[in-house]
Amino acid sequence: MGAALASPLALAACDIDPPSRAGGTAAPTPPPPEDSELVAAVVAALVRARSVVEAATLSVPDLTPLLEPVATAHAAHLEVLAGAVADTDVPAPAPPTIAGDRARALGVVRRSEQRLLREVRRGCVGAASGDLARVLASMAASTAQHGAALADPTTGVEGP
Amino acid sequence: MTVLDALQTTLADEHAALYAYGVLGARTSQATSPELFETMTAGYRRHRARRDQLRLMVGDAGGDPVAADAAYDLDGALLRPPQLARAAAELEAGSVEVLVALVAQSSGSVREWALTEATWSAVWQLRLGSTAETWPGAPELDQP
Repeated sequence: MGAALASPLALAACDIDPPSRAGGTAAPTPPPPEDSELVAAVVAALVRARSVVEAATLSVPDLTPLLEPVATAHAAHLEVLAGAVADTDVPAPAPPTIAGDRARALGVVRRSEQRLLREVRRGCVGAASGDLARVLASMAASTAQHGAALADPTTGVEGP
Repeated sequence: MTVLDALQTTLADEHAALYAYGVLGARTSQATSPELFETMTAGYRRHRARRDQLRLMVGDAGGDPVAADAAYDLDGALLRPPQLARAAAELEAGSVEVLVALVAQSSGSVREWALTEATWSAVWQLRLGSTAETWPGAPELDQP
């Protein structure tokens, strides 16, 4: 799976073929180079969000069960996208400092996930490649789900 | 597949979803399961608005909106609230899959709309008892 978007965005890989349930799409074609910048922006946002989750978990270990699914999703999303950008384009942000208070740490993670969602949505809407847009749409849906689960860990979502 | 084809596929799926929500909602007791009833009602309204929007989009794309079937197959054994919620969650999961396919086939405002609706259905699955996934609507990416 990691090579699904390998440089230069080799979306022709069968890993991301559209689903047959919806009738499928035409054979995937490699996306145009202009999507590289967009992918790099999403990767940077993912790396930032991952560092926030790591910092929150380190600061408040009790949050680990709640944040573990989020970290797992980040890792899977990065695995698909990271191969599409050169190593030098993947940022290595300084780990943020998060106060050792559960509610505050959770709030920081939630805001971080909301920022990530905005960036993934932006990438999805702007992608020249339909296959890449589909991957980012799924990623946005996942990020929204995890954000909703963090908003209310008991029911999973806020209001309708 | 053209954008129009993808819109028609999505509209056909919405017809089925709306029918299913109607049946599931009718089997949900407002008195004994008020929260689930509210969730079903809100889901029905969302899908009805989605169907209406898709009809407009198909027309804008130069097509004749596909009509609903007279009836759709549903599991007649679904009667208990957890079964009804699970069926609605599966319905929403199917909607996410169709909508992210529409995302792939469209651009601009249609893609943005499909993305918003896919995200809504993904989050609504949680309201119906599902857990967050890594690749909603794109299950093939979950393969190791």
